Amino acid sequence: MLGRGLKRKLSDYDENMVGLSSAFDSSRNLPYSLKRQLVLNMCLTKLQTYKMLVEPNLHRSVLIANTVRQQESNCCDLRSVEDPIENSLLIVSDDDMSSAISSILKDLDFVEDISPPTCLVPTGDDQPKFPENTGLKLEDDRQDLKGAECVFGSFEISNSTSYLKDLAIDDIFEDIDTSMYDSDFCCPPLMPPRPPSLATEEPLKTFPSCNSSSASNIQICRTDLSELDHIMEILVGS
Amino acid sequence: MAGVAGGGGVGGSNDFQWCFSQVKGAIDEDVAEADIISTVEFNYSGDLLATGDKGGRVVIFQREQESKSRPYSRGEYNVYSTFQSHEPEFDYLKSLEIEEKINKIRWLPQQNAAHFLLSTNDKTIKLWKISERDKRAEGYNLKDEDGRLRDPFRITALRVPILKPMDLMVEASPRRIFANAHTYHINSISVNSDHETYLSADDLRINLWHLEITDRSFNIVDIKPANMEELTEVITAAEFHPHHCNVFVYSSSKGTIRLCDMRSSALCDRHSKFFEEPEDPSSRSFFSEIISSISDVKFSHSGRYMMTRDYLSVKVWDLNMENRPVETYQVHEYLRSKLCSLYENDCIFDKFECCWNGSDSAIMTGSYNNFFRMFDRNTRRDVTLEASRESSKPRAVLKPRKVCTGGKRKKDEISVDSLDFNKKILHTAWHPMENIIAVAATNNLYIFQDKIN
Repeated sequence: MLGRGLKRKLSDYDENMVGLSSAFDSSRNLPYSLKRQLVLNMCLTKLQTYKMLVEPNLHRSVLIANTVRQQESNCCDLRSVEDPIENSLLIVSDDDMSSAISSILKDLDFVEDISPPTCLVPTGDDQPKFPENTGLKLEDDRQDLKGAECVFGSFEISNSTSYLKDLAIDDIFEDIDTSMYDSDFCCPPLMPPRPPSLATEEPLKTFPSCNSSSASNIQICRTDLSELDHIMEILVGS
Repeated sequence: MAGVAGGGGVGGSNDFQWCFSQVKGAIDEDVAEADIISTVEFNYSGDLLATGDKGGRVVIFQREQESKSRPYSRGEYNVYSTFQSHEPEFDYLKSLEIEEKINKIRWLPQQNAAHFLLSTNDKTIKLWKISERDKRAEGYNLKDEDGRLRDPFRITALRVPILKPMDLMVEASPRRIFANAHTYHINSISVNSDHETYLSADDLRINLWHLEITDRSFNIVDIKPANMEELTEVITAAEFHPHHCNVFVYSSSKGTIRLCDMRSSALCDRHSKFFEEPEDPSSRSFFSEIISSISDVKFSHSGRYMMTRDYLSVKVWDLNMENRPVETYQVHEYLRSKLCSLYENDCIFDKFECCWNGSDSAIMTGSYNNFFRMFDRNTRRDVTLEASRESSKPRAVLKPRKVCTGGKRKKDEISVDSLDFNKKILHTAWHPMENIIAVAATNNLYIFQDKIN
């Protein structure tokens, strides 16, 4: 029904891609949801690739992250009007996506924090702001979670860990080469090796209805990072 | 004659044409990464032209004096000095490799016989002095001709060293190294009109330096959020006003420009002016934000206007009007339907620069397929030209190129699908007084001039 004859040729992926003819551009009558999924998948792949770089390009990462965020917010509005079958195409890679975004941005922060302070003028400092912002932060989290619930609410059939393994979805995508997305960092979801500490449990208590793994991941990363910060501070003696 | 002929120097009219003058760089199809030109910049007089490349080298070309024997040759640019500005480095603390690629070069106004320029890679800015030597001193008392110290017991008389003429030598020496002030990648440097200070901008911060002082810089803009997850915007370019030393602008990845006045506070986290054009809802797509990201911002020579380049267009803003640009020029609108592919192959992140002609009446910016575009601000005429070896016969007139956008392709037109996206012109420079332009096409530097009728 869809995707027939849309298979991308290997040559299109060549480095010296001369002509532009991706599945998306050449057929503009693809359903919006499929286009969106293609774009999101590309975003995910790019973010994952950048994650492996020692120093990812911050400019690109931010642009891609914003593209994903934009689509996430659009999705909430569109979900109610769209056809349920099409909806099921929107496999929840958003979950992977938000964790990828936050982890890539965090990595960049980490790079920052171990650098020696160089400027004389008091800047928007790296650490001091943090504690006084926690009240606000919780507010933000609540907003985010509402958004997340909205996005993830209708997608219970396909959870993010079995993404691309589901037979039905494979059928739909049989004409599209998904192997490039099928990498080990997509599943299981990004989970740092350390056990969660106190701070991570708190938000879960505050929002018992929330079971989005990305939210807790963020918290874990955060503590993880502040621990690392602390260690680095001692090491660097800053 | 500067930029006035034909209303600003844009081709297409009968009275004005661009013609090929020179091409620099290897002809070899096999391009070495290190040879790719990453920045081009004329000095204030236009007699010197500097290029930086991915291999960390700076090459300076000097314009030859016009010769009477060859009346049509109006001064070619020849290599004046070549030096290694930056070397690859390794930051052991952060386990990071620091590329040697020259991101920007900025000339300082000339104060004496020597020339000075700033060059920067991702992290470190260097001040270089380029000076000539055509004499050497001979007859020192304590050293012999080879520079070895003489035995003090054999010095029986004192003499005055004398200067002897020698072959002209151009020396480039690093005078100042401004390091360790940027955590993120430096995208811009700009010398202030006070000739004493300059700014350097990275993704999240802008620092102010004194040209003589290397161990201290002042942070004048900082947009780094306390929590990096909340980061949605980065600084993409910054420049000082050409006449007011307290004013500078910086552009962002969200397509906005902030003008700051350093007199208002030491940390300019509150802008004085905010330039933004409301988004056109009809042209929204998945990539709206990416293509609105500004890749370059340049003040006009007069200081009245500024120009910004985003992925598909170039806009001219009046500093007195913040809500929309006074002029918008489409650079390659035919790519709008190809954005997904351009995103896929990362071309959408290419950072095209733009430049003004000497009289601010015309602007130039690059595109793909070795095409570059010029827009005449008075007549609103535009032209697409190509930097290619094929048309590089001496004084050959550049033929305007046309890209076919759907429908039947006419003769001499090129279809969008056959554009070569590996050949991109990101960096161009316009002589400050005359109609001479320098166009960087991968590893080649093309120089074009107007044709004298």
